[in-house]
Amino acid sequence: MSGIIDFANAIFKPLIDLGAAPMMLIVLTIIALIFRVKFSKALEGGIKLAIALTAISAVIGLLTTAFQDALNAFVKSTGIQLSVTDLGWAPLATITWGSPYTLFFLLVMVIVNIVMIVLNKTNTLDVDIFDIWHLAFVGLLAMFFGANLLITTILVIFIGVLKIINSDLMKPTFNDLLHAPASNPMTTTHMNYMMNPIIMVFDKLFDVIFPWLDKFDFDAAALNKKIGFWGSKFAIGIYLGIFIGLLSHQGVKEIFTLSFTAAFCLELFSLIGSWFIAAVEPLSQGITDFANKKLKGRTMNVGLDWPFIAGRAEIWAAANVLAPIMLLEALVLPGNKILPLGGIIAMGVTPALLVVTRGKIIRMIVIGAIELPLFLWAGTLSAPMVTETAKKLGAFPKGLASGTMISHSTMEGPVEKFLAYLVGNASTGQIKFVLYAALALIAYLLIFIWYAKQMKKRNKVYADEAAAKAAK
Amino acid sequence: MFKILAACGAGVNSSHQIKDALETEMSNRGYDVQADAVMVKDITEDMLKDYDLFTPIAATDLGFTPSCPVVDAGPILYRMPAMAKPVYDQVEQAIKDSGKA
Repeated sequence: MSGIIDFANAIFKPLIDLGAAPMMLIVLTIIALIFRVKFSKALEGGIKLAIALTAISAVIGLLTTAFQDALNAFVKSTGIQLSVTDLGWAPLATITWGSPYTLFFLLVMVIVNIVMIVLNKTNTLDVDIFDIWHLAFVGLLAMFFGANLLITTILVIFIGVLKIINSDLMKPTFNDLLHAPASNPMTTTHMNYMMNPIIMVFDKLFDVIFPWLDKFDFDAAALNKKIGFWGSKFAIGIYLGIFIGLLSHQGVKEIFTLSFTAAFCLELFSLIGSWFIAAVEPLSQGITDFANKKLKGRTMNVGLDWPFIAGRAEIWAAANVLAPIMLLEALVLPGNKILPLGGIIAMGVTPALLVVTRGKIIRMIVIGAIELPLFLWAGTLSAPMVTETAKKLGAFPKGLASGTMISHSTMEGPVEKFLAYLVGNASTGQIKFVLYAALALIAYLLIFIWYAKQMKKRNKVYADEAAAKAAK
Repeated sequence: MFKILAACGAGVNSSHQIKDALETEMSNRGYDVQADAVMVKDITEDMLKDYDLFTPIAATDLGFTPSCPVVDAGPILYRMPAMAKPVYDQVEQAIKDSGKA
């Protein structure tokens, strides 16, 4: 046994010692080659990933350095302890893809997806390879809190299977929202829709208590048109620079510098995010070709990234309205340490609200405001892991205060992060956590089963309507 | 040059796949095409005036009627060439119709 470990160390230790960017260049290139991607394409993807990792580290460093003094002064002058900087999704995605475990969880989920298709447990082929990072993040978090690889993999498979089942459950609703025919193959296994069960609980309560509020639904597209560029990434950076600058009593010149720094960093995070998606693209195509070959041309639904419903104006209207609400909640929420910045336009929150409420905008906003604390707490919970991983990537400048942390305010899958926390701690043998983790997993499964029943009822209504239409 | 605007949720993933696919395929078919990728929510009437074609993933409610033709490009994301071909054909037709072929 020790011989095997020594052999593995001899091969992998020099690779790990190179650092995350060179290591992922090599690992991603090799994995893409295994999936029969052409060498030049595989290498191109590997190099792009390494560049994206290096670039995101540099921009995180710029942002955290520029805001450090102002945030310290902000805490002193306001007494509000929001010490975690919200970087939005792109840096977290890059950090997660900087771990070889992400590729391991990807391979596991490709196999799980194919097995489920072969066993007729799903009709969705997930080609959204990039977004495996949401699930991998949960796995990394569980490991950070103490879970071993076996327990983590079981947790990842458990949540991953429910995600795939959810994609089938949501399919008719997507057709309805897109006014698309049943032949439309678009669906998604995206993690943000794992909030559907909890949202549905509130939606059912809404049906009983506040159904009259639906009368006040407004034209979401008209609101978005009025907001225009004022809701763009760089505008949000400007607002936050002004907000923090004023409350931390900075001078006019410093406020301008903070605003412009936040604005360009938010723009760059997205730009670098696109490089890194391009990096994974050859592997994504390789895996899709592999899966299609294994499935021998069987016709099925295709699991995409969530934005195929981004054309629904309610998603953006709700996100725009929820942004100031989240800022207020963040200031007063006990236990929250995140000051919303990069994630303040809650793209990880509103698509699930759209699917469950089917576009009832007032419900989306009210339920969104109720569930936002879960996201803020989950972001706070994840901050130590994100910060430690970023430090390993060299993304933290040396002069920063030790208490400075980074995270994401509206990252998809807050409930799954709490599960990772409980399962991780339970794995260390603490009886209290074993009990909590068991209860939480059972509750998570039971609420999903209840939600699945509700969705099946909804889908039967869709099917009956389609049958009645066809009979006319 | 024929200018295309692709759009998705964050302006970095699906829209970039569409942008890259359209630029590659239209170049292979002999057309001079440039595509940009943006967030759906950042699209304004003024912005669309600079483009010859809008290619969202699926039906998109912008709050106004686009001044240029629209082709739903979602099938490109399925990663299956046979399903993407009708989209490419529609884009090629739009290029021909624009007189910029």
